[in-house]
Amino acid sequence: MAKPVVIVVGADKGGVGKTTVSRTLLDYFSANNVPTRAFDTESPRGTLKRFHPGITEIVDMTTTSDQMKIFDTLNSASPSVTVIDVRAGLMSPALASLRDIGFLDAAKSGQITFAVFHILGPSIASLDEIAETANFMQGAKYFLVKNFINNTSFFEWDQATYNAYFHRIKDATELTIPKLNEMAFEQVEVASVPFLKFVANKGVHDETENYSFVLRGYVRHWLANVWSEFDRIKLTDLVGGGGGKSGARGGEK
Amino acid sequence: MRRTPVYIICSPRPLVGKTLIARLLSEFLLLKNGTVAAFDINLKEPSLLEYLPAITETAQIDNTFGKMALMDRVIVNDGIAKVIDLGFHAFDEFFKMSEEIGFLKEAARRGIAPVILFVADADRVSVRGHLMLTQQIPATALITVDNEFVVRGELPAAMDRGRVMRIAALPVFLKTYVSRLTFSFTDYLRSENDSSTELHQWIRRNYFSFREIEMNLILLGS
Repeated sequence: MAKPVVIVVGADKGGVGKTTVSRTLLDYFSANNVPTRAFDTESPRGTLKRFHPGITEIVDMTTTSDQMKIFDTLNSASPSVTVIDVRAGLMSPALASLRDIGFLDAAKSGQITFAVFHILGPSIASLDEIAETANFMQGAKYFLVKNFINNTSFFEWDQATYNAYFHRIKDATELTIPKLNEMAFEQVEVASVPFLKFVANKGVHDETENYSFVLRGYVRHWLANVWSEFDRIKLTDLVGGGGGKSGARGGEK
Repeated sequence: MRRTPVYIICSPRPLVGKTLIARLLSEFLLLKNGTVAAFDINLKEPSLLEYLPAITETAQIDNTFGKMALMDRVIVNDGIAKVIDLGFHAFDEFFKMSEEIGFLKEAARRGIAPVILFVADADRVSVRGHLMLTQQIPATALITVDNEFVVRGELPAAMDRGRVMRIAALPVFLKTYVSRLTFSFTDYLRSENDSSTELHQWIRRNYFSFREIEMNLILLGS
């Protein structure tokens, strides 16, 4: 039985692109033949589920019953990779709960592979979350995700500020998600399909669609850049998967 | 199914003869095929729209909507040849977009045959632009146009290596004559009885060059 893998995607600030990053992760695992299940904590309506309905369940992370649904099934569940898209403002409480139930200890002892994709926004308040989150990260893989949803520079122009946030945490790995053309993003929103399906010009039920070639091209190019980052951090090794069918990937080389 | 050609006439420099070549090519295609669709992406230069309003529409690529309106038209294999007169100001953005969205790959998938007609100049901007294109465009799809009115003397060596189409310089008085908005190259060929005139020969030579380019496309596609 494969070691369970839990990936939490979260931030304590809203609107920084958590669900977008979760979607790219699910597409990446799909393209690499890594069976995955996902939990969408935007209960009751959900946001992630709209794009990946077949593998996503909407849960309320504040309730014990739904916490049990996720964590009590880790060892018995197939697929063994679980992605949790954590609602804005709930990441620290969620990590605290994981600590309290012994999940973080299990991760530290190697029973579970645990990774956190901390989505950062271009504000000091967002960056201030890093130190707080880092307290929970012993035994876990901690990824600081700079999601360029606008023309921000994440304070790269001010080395002192940049270093104060990004280089202070040992073993934290930075990831860059480049900006996606706004119209392309919106068209995918309207289509309600995974990024991969949009690139392939497919609809919800795999029917052939008539999406703009220009917008599909922008999404393809962007997704390839995002996946290059996932390749760089050896994400498939982390989850112990990857069926080797990288030629079937929708991203470009 | 035969491939639909898309001719992109371009240069990062102004006033090198792009619109003149676009006019010549559009009229040739109209004469030969009966139909052509031309796109004018020009802000400040002589405009194709002014010469051939019946077959030309304006286009812009400075925003996503404009790019979609142009490229989603151009990528359709409908058998109607397309001519894009790409203004110098749009050169960088067009080819940056083209690379990002995978235009050439998609064109190949859909049976579209892009042909880049790069109108050369001897200066550094032109040389850099040509170099960028050689890195992005296959040699079979890139043709350097040596407009002898602009490049006085030899083409820079790097530009002379690939496919080259030479356009002889017209005397100034003939250049002024053909620059009139009402002038049509095809009408001139049809109405001028004396086929030995310099302009007659010039037009026929250029039409012949375009025919050779077309034949080459057919050979490559077969």
